[in-house]
Amino acid sequence: MVDIKRIEKRTVQYFYEDGLNEIALGLIFLLLGGYFFAQAAIPEGSPLNAMLSVLFVFVIISSGFLVSRFIRYFKRRITYPRTGYVAFKKKKPNPKRRAAVVITSGLIGASLAALYTLSPALKALFPALNGLLFAVAIFFIANKVGLVRFHVLAAASAAIGVVVTTSGVGDIKGVSLYYGLFGAAMVVSGLAALIVYLRRSPRPEAGDTEGPDAH
Amino acid sequence: MPTDLRDLAGLDRLIHEPARLVLTAILSVVESADFLYLQRETGLTKGNLSSHLAKLEEARYITIEKTYRGRVPLTLVRLTDAGAAAYKAYRTRFKKFLEQT
Repeated sequence: MVDIKRIEKRTVQYFYEDGLNEIALGLIFLLLGGYFFAQAAIPEGSPLNAMLSVLFVFVIISSGFLVSRFIRYFKRRITYPRTGYVAFKKKKPNPKRRAAVVITSGLIGASLAALYTLSPALKALFPALNGLLFAVAIFFIANKVGLVRFHVLAAASAAIGVVVTTSGVGDIKGVSLYYGLFGAAMVVSGLAALIVYLRRSPRPEAGDTEGPDAH
Repeated sequence: MPTDLRDLAGLDRLIHEPARLVLTAILSVVESADFLYLQRETGLTKGNLSSHLAKLEEARYITIEKTYRGRVPLTLVRLTDAGAAAYKAYRTRFKKFLEQT
């Protein structure tokens, strides 16, 4: 009997099969790690540090743009010629959902800011907080698409965050170390997935990728 | 006729055929997919896949668009609203039948 649910899930997993998403996100995390490292290395109050703070918004916006460009570029060259093109459904904008995301993010941000004001020592927990927040987000994606390696990445994010915090590297340096290590973990995971994908999916011979002219 | 048998008899035969069921299941979760992807996922030969797609297209369950990405020809297949409704109805009916048996 045809297992409809499995087919639907497999189709959704196709987006992650080549590991390109992890590689792209991993590179962005490495970039953020470098950014936070620079912020920790440059003395507080210096003009360069102030400039870096202003640049943060630019880094975040350009990261999102670069990730989508990177994924699209390499999927066109690596994935689509080998295993075909799939356009996934775009989620219709849902004002209630968007509002919930904005409110939740705001509450998390405000709580962290309040905690930090009340006790600056809590800043030392930032690497663990980052690790746990990303672990939760990746865990949700892992459950949705059913890929084991995403569960491993979620666990790795939490573990790296907690280990970096307990090792007492410091707040900003700790955050930069978390982003660097977790970024490297994502790139390694993505490269491993890409190698497996390339071995399993040789490029079809020319002319073998199209339907007959009858269409 | 018992209700469960009536449910089974009322299944959309066009979708019920295994290869076409796989095709509609795939297309139900995506915006569009190309011929190569569908061929790889179904394991059908070019001819067989074309024949199944033609049947679905004839029933207006799918649309087939011949286009180009750069210089590379691309055959894009999409589930129509009618196709999506038929697939949803098939799923519901078949699930109901399985629950009753």
